[in-house]
Amino acid sequence: MSLRKVLGAYRLECRAGAIAILLLGGSIVSQAQLHDLPAGLMQAKVQTACTECHDSHIIMQQRLGPKIWTKEVDKMIRWGALVSPGDRDPFIDYLSINFPPEKATDPVTRVEPR
Amino acid sequence: MISRRHFIGLSIAAAGAGAISPLLHGVPFVEGVVVPGEEGMIVRSARFLDLETPPEFLNSWITQVPHFFVRNHMHEPSALYGGEWRLTVGGEVQETLTLKLTDLERFGLHAVTNTLECAGNGRGFQRPRVPGVQWERGAVGTARFVGLRLHDLLERAGTRKTGKHVMFRGLDEIPGKVPAFVRSIPIEKAMDTDTLIATQMNGAPLTRHHGFPARALVPGWVGAASCKWLTEIKVLDKEFEGNFMKPGYRMPNSPISPGSEINPDDTHPITSMDVKSIIAGPSDGASLKSRVIKIHGAAWAGETDIARVEVSTDSGTTWNLAALDTERARYAWRLWNYVWHAPRAGNYTIMSRATDGAGRTQPQSAAWNPSGYLYNAIDQVRIHVLT
Repeated sequence: MSLRKVLGAYRLECRAGAIAILLLGGSIVSQAQLHDLPAGLMQAKVQTACTECHDSHIIMQQRLGPKIWTKEVDKMIRWGALVSPGDRDPFIDYLSINFPPEKATDPVTRVEPR
Repeated sequence: MISRRHFIGLSIAAAGAGAISPLLHGVPFVEGVVVPGEEGMIVRSARFLDLETPPEFLNSWITQVPHFFVRNHMHEPSALYGGEWRLTVGGEVQETLTLKLTDLERFGLHAVTNTLECAGNGRGFQRPRVPGVQWERGAVGTARFVGLRLHDLLERAGTRKTGKHVMFRGLDEIPGKVPAFVRSIPIEKAMDTDTLIATQMNGAPLTRHHGFPARALVPGWVGAASCKWLTEIKVLDKEFEGNFMKPGYRMPNSPISPGSEINPDDTHPITSMDVKSIIAGPSDGASLKSRVIKIHGAAWAGETDIARVEVSTDSGTTWNLAALDTERARYAWRLWNYVWHAPRAGNYTIMSRATDGAGRTQPQSAAWNPSGYLYNAIDQVRIHVLT
């Protein structure tokens, strides 16, 4: 592609920017928001605290022991996850019980056709 | 990926603009993940968006943009306006620059065909398991990137002798108190004439998922070096200090026992990719009707050439030389294939191992590290021949 064409595309992007970004940003929909984490006493709290920033795919693909889950939960609290001090250990227990190393991984999800 | 409230807000705005997404018709929340232009990709995370290329798409020397893996540490910028975009170059320089997209016309364009791989590609195979995106084979792809040389930009700004590292900052939107995704590369690599500020990918402007309007392209190095949505370049007198430089993206200075912890002071930053091959076909678990089987895949070694790829069809007892395709470039992978006549019906374990020009060969098992970086064990798939 010539530089002239590239810059032309940039200018077009600039003009169409607002609409284009609305469409791009608004057209990604994830099942993850509907996918509940496994049942348990802490399910709702974990779902709320974690999916504030990211979806549940990234949680549900992990297979970790309690020691590493502890490090992950503490890191997320440092990074802004709203977990009350009394909920920290129950969070770790919930994640360790539901996503342990010995549990088989789930089938992968593919991006669906439009 | 956006929240329900945000989605509805954008939907109304988009409808008002007269351009209605198909998703706005009918039920606003569908089963599954819809990312326009990325159909068929494996969803590792929908928010932040992390998409893996399935093995069946890893069969061409140039990976099509819709099939190129997407790795985001944060949210993608919610608004990108080419006309308002600015790139600043500052720090240990004689003159601070502020550039518009149109200013890039003053610099010549340079093309680099590069294999880009996430440092965590293959993390899902690491044992004991480690946290992070559980990539398998497909956080890798090859594209032809075009842009200006970072060298030329730094020359224009006049890098001072005190400049030792070059930092990249993008427009990623940071949730909560997450540290910003900011990293730096040594000045020597920054001044390499193949290191780019890329604006094009496979003959078209970068797409949003790949860093529009400009990204760093640090050839041969792990993908994390090639910051997307670039907005600031800063020359520093030392390595940037931040989470994604330390403890992030580092390897142990010497091998450690699987499952053990490591002091970050006993680690070094990851730079170049290691020697590696993957099997793109047949796929793991495939049942094949024919005994004539074309085994194929890709092999790469960062800044080094691939010397050979070998294939085993008997679980690693014997090895056969695969044919390397002729398409090649300094930083790009080589496609390879081996046509095998299975002696009889049954179950087989197929393996591939690459050796690079420096004599490095893929190991039987990858060097374990707590973040699962640079996984490069001999690849293997299990297949069943039916007749």
